[in-house]
Amino acid sequence: MTRRVVITGYGAISPLGHTAAETWAGLAAGRTGIGPIVNVPSEPLIVKIAGEVRDFDPAAHLDPKRLPLLDRFSQFALVAAKEAIEISGLRASAENSARIGVVVGSGAMGMNTIEDGYRRMFLEGMTRAHPLTVPRLMTSAPCSQIAIQYGFHGPSFSVSSACASANHAIAQALGTIRQGQADAMLAGGTEAPLSFGGYKIWEALRVMATDTCRPFSKDRRGMVLGEGAAMFVLESLEHAQRRGATIFAELAGAGMSSDAGDIVLPDPAGAARAMSLALSDAGVNPEEVDYVNAHGTGTPANDRMETDALHRVFGAHARALAVSSSKSMLGHSLGASGALELIAVVKAFETGILAPTANFTEPDPECDLDYLPNKAREHKIGVAISNSFAFGGLNAVLTLRRFN
Amino acid sequence: MSDIETNIIDIISKEGSIDREKIKPESTLKDLEIPSLDVVQIVFAIEDKFNISIPYNDPGFDVNSVAGLVTCVEKLVAQNKPAA
Repeated sequence: MTRRVVITGYGAISPLGHTAAETWAGLAAGRTGIGPIVNVPSEPLIVKIAGEVRDFDPAAHLDPKRLPLLDRFSQFALVAAKEAIEISGLRASAENSARIGVVVGSGAMGMNTIEDGYRRMFLEGMTRAHPLTVPRLMTSAPCSQIAIQYGFHGPSFSVSSACASANHAIAQALGTIRQGQADAMLAGGTEAPLSFGGYKIWEALRVMATDTCRPFSKDRRGMVLGEGAAMFVLESLEHAQRRGATIFAELAGAGMSSDAGDIVLPDPAGAARAMSLALSDAGVNPEEVDYVNAHGTGTPANDRMETDALHRVFGAHARALAVSSSKSMLGHSLGASGALELIAVVKAFETGILAPTANFTEPDPECDLDYLPNKAREHKIGVAISNSFAFGGLNAVLTLRRFN
Repeated sequence: MSDIETNIIDIISKEGSIDREKIKPESTLKDLEIPSLDVVQIVFAIEDKFNISIPYNDPGFDVNSVAGLVTCVEKLVAQNKPAA
């Protein structure tokens, strides 16, 4: 029999606040965390808006002695992990530490460290790199830092699949617990891509909006970059019940697929396959799904494709779904996005409120579903899915079920 | 105490988070319980400060004690060897 896996803790740092509670308060209020860029000089940038984590003082959260080892993406991961672990009450001991692991998704690794290093060498003429460059920038740094901080000795690794990294990471953690390789996993995603060069490379792709992010709205102009992290404590049901943990939702399934098509253009067949697999993995019929937290980037191509894919998977039931895009408020934090969006899903189970799609102005005939425009809705949901469809055609969808 | 020695002790104190008074010329970095990651940062900071390049794995250069580091830096500064 497959082991059931439940969520017993969550934490976040995002453009809407430095905790999951603040992030959720913003999402539920339909408040956007997108605004003028303040953390880097924006004068030479074409796109001057982003979802930045503001007023973040790493020294207020983290041991100053460890800070030289922590790129911003590791700092975010540690802040979110701390909150998740505190909420869950999970503690490593000599008996259980080898049964707790960490999986962290990140698409862009330590961008700020790379950029600082290049600036030193190419602009300032320095001849040597900082000795901590490698341990700071490596994609797996946040995973290692969390494991070190909490003494988790179980299976731990990082996952990278661009904008689907967090969902793939959570799917891998689910599999690790189901297979009995661990009893509990800390899983999520982190990203800090908002360096000057980070903005420039995304500008160059010409997929960015300059006004704001308006997913599924007819006048949408593209995506807006974001940053942050969210982490979850996942446990086997028995493990959670044995220690009397509060269970927020069941992580009932995951579905993954690859378009194996275009490196940037999404394919509705690939997205639909991932959703169908996520439902069958959870043993859920399409008609049981109440809420879809969409990938919803706000690019003309994604939102049209995602709507098409939802029609393919849900048929007539698609019209009954509540669909919303948290990226309208968080921006697109790439490898962290699936984890931050899972906060909206877990809190929906907890509070009975669905966060809206903000900045929605006008329906698009090609996007003809119920996108919860601008206003949160009270709705006690039973089953939800959360979509992530990455550049390069890598898709990962999570299915969550109310735990009774 | 030479300027070089003063500077080196300052750097060890800062990068290793060690009270300055505890650092003596004869101290080895091991005596001072400086972790290896801090050692590479100390060497890096010294290189930056004096604009030199301290060779590694070279038995002619002792980077494991305060006195050894002072000798290294004096030798390299005297050669006025620009960073490689």
